[in-house]
Amino acid sequence: MLSVSNSIAVAPTAVPFAGSSHTASSRVRFQPLNAFASTSYASTENATSSYLSHRGMASCSSLYEILGVPSGASFQEVKSAYRRLARVCHPDVANFDRKDSSADEFMKIHAAYSTLSDPAKRADYDRKHLLRHRPLTTASGFSGYTRRNWETDQCW
Amino acid sequence: MAEPAYIVASDNETTGEEKSSAAFPEIAIGIDIGTSQCSIAVWNGSQVELLKNTRNQKMMQSFVMFKDDTPSGGVSSHLSHEHEMLSGAAIFNMKRLIGRVDTDPVVHASKSLPFLVQTLDIGVRPFIAALVNNVWRSTTPEEVLAIFLVELRAMAEVQLRRPIRNVVLTIPVSFSRFQLTRIERACAMAGLQVLRLMPEPTAVALLYAQQQQQTEHENMGSGSEKIALIFNMGAGYCDVAVTATAGGVSQIKSLAGSAIGGEDLLQNMMRHLLPNAESLLSDHRINEIKSMALLRVATQEAIHKLSFQTSVQVDVDLGNGSKIRKVVGREEFEAVNQKVFDRCESLITQCLHDAKVEIEDVSDIIAVGGCSCIPKIKNLILKIFKREELYKGMNPSEAAACGAALEGAVASGVSDPFGNLDLLTIQATPLAVGIRADGNNFIPIIPRNTTMPARRDLIFTTVHDNQTQALIIVYEGEGNKVEENHLLGYFKITGIPPAPKGVPEISVCMDIDASNALRVFAGVLQPRSSHPAIPFMEVRMPTVDDGHGWCAEALHRAHGASLDLVTVQKKI
Repeated sequence: MLSVSNSIAVAPTAVPFAGSSHTASSRVRFQPLNAFASTSYASTENATSSYLSHRGMASCSSLYEILGVPSGASFQEVKSAYRRLARVCHPDVANFDRKDSSADEFMKIHAAYSTLSDPAKRADYDRKHLLRHRPLTTASGFSGYTRRNWETDQCW
Repeated sequence: MAEPAYIVASDNETTGEEKSSAAFPEIAIGIDIGTSQCSIAVWNGSQVELLKNTRNQKMMQSFVMFKDDTPSGGVSSHLSHEHEMLSGAAIFNMKRLIGRVDTDPVVHASKSLPFLVQTLDIGVRPFIAALVNNVWRSTTPEEVLAIFLVELRAMAEVQLRRPIRNVVLTIPVSFSRFQLTRIERACAMAGLQVLRLMPEPTAVALLYAQQQQQTEHENMGSGSEKIALIFNMGAGYCDVAVTATAGGVSQIKSLAGSAIGGEDLLQNMMRHLLPNAESLLSDHRINEIKSMALLRVATQEAIHKLSFQTSVQVDVDLGNGSKIRKVVGREEFEAVNQKVFDRCESLITQCLHDAKVEIEDVSDIIAVGGCSCIPKIKNLILKIFKREELYKGMNPSEAAACGAALEGAVASGVSDPFGNLDLLTIQATPLAVGIRADGNNFIPIIPRNTTMPARRDLIFTTVHDNQTQALIIVYEGEGNKVEENHLLGYFKITGIPPAPKGVPEISVCMDIDASNALRVFAGVLQPRSSHPAIPFMEVRMPTVDDGHGWCAEALHRAHGASLDLVTVQKKI
């Protein structure tokens, strides 16, 4: 179980958004998604896993980064990104060696989706997000992960 | 997919075979065990195929006949007449009985069946028996289901020419986790490994997702999704689901279900035709059973006819001197069962409300199950949605088994070159899980309709000064009070550092994985420290066994409120 938090913590992603404007960084972030989307899901498991680790759901990533969409993404884009990631990360379809971590990844993806697909929650999140001019340090602001951080330190 | 570390003794025989063929994943078969009928389907490499029994039937009656030495089920045995099933020797409707205690109203309603259902109203497993050579021979719903599953398995093995081990079973939405363990137990007794237990409408949703994908290939990833409402009503249960589908991914947005079905329609109608119907069978004498069987068959036929004609003549001689001659109109049938139909309606509206979906957003309305051909049911659904037509692309009696077979193929890791198996169901929790706190209240930790896998936690605190122990009692359900919910298990946290009441922070975390296994973690958090004072507890639920009906009461009697917890107000 602990492998989850470990693999996330060492994700090699450069610090996103730091010092850069949103449009610039979101353009950068969006590239790998397009590349990924054009590949087929079943056959390119290497591409998949490298994409995932590259994208890295590190604790410093924003909800937009988790879904791999620009911050101005439409609801349609958010939905299709969620669905695309579900096709890869859901434990039912994930490779057997990643079964345990895929549940955590999927929960993060779903939490990001449920915030960004709800206009009120998304506006709320955007307000906090933009005020700070940087991503939230933890993925707080949505229901599932508000208090104690079970993923990182408690018991598995 | 956490496999249990142990294997049940009856599983042993097939273990070796499974390992040797590990390179080629065995395709799990899909089974839809209905209260009255059952069907079995499998992915044959290019599509889903329903298997037929030796009498060329796709739909087999769910019953087990106890005769002489060997019991035989509806898969293989042939009934010369419907009355034979009602002689007391056959056990049926096991899906309404499995995993229920003798205080359950559904069990009480089953007492009017021809076989013996005895209740003592103390919260234990009801006594069930079949009449064999004038002797009531005791059995259990698990045993009956296992016998039936053994027949199904044998039938599938003969046809597919391979050993069958993995299965996907469909289950009612309203089944508690305890009931699921009973289903798993019956499967283990039959030498079957449960790959997935799928709420029936979600199996239908998967079939719908595949159909949508086949018709709209360009849909992939475009984000345009179709919302469908699935209404599934059979003999024992009525289930509703709202699903959002696109690109082969079916996201279950909400689920609702209740133990109402054709059996209730039948019993209400029998009571209507013969007001003292219940007392007729009070002692289960042989001639009483016969009269009841005659009434049941006549009523059933009448209800079936009322789906196609507006009135029906019931003419039955009960053999005990009383005769029933009556013309029953369709409106009369609908009036007698108004409560059942109202309940169906409320399940649909509740499901739509929970999914936050407006009726105009729903693209397709799918009605399946034996009761979906009843005109009143069709009309009430169409009326809610202000539509003219229901979805036509599915066979109402086969859809659930087909969906289960698809899930079986997907979960077995089979891929299809044409993309017909690029499917995924994102399930939601049908019932909330939580613990007892704030007195006798049920505090949900993972609410109903939460996307799975899911993990949530809540902080609780003590109610007494220097309270060093706390009882975590886990329930599942929708009621505000714990008594209205299903008990799943309980355990105690000890070694809470002494402190004034309200100070210790006791964290309870619940985790449901994609295969629907529930684990509960609990422990005391230490402020300003990342290490807990005492080891956390991890408990797989449910832990309760038979007779759980009186567990909660016994706990209360022994401990009162001394080990209670209350919720902590959320700091924002």
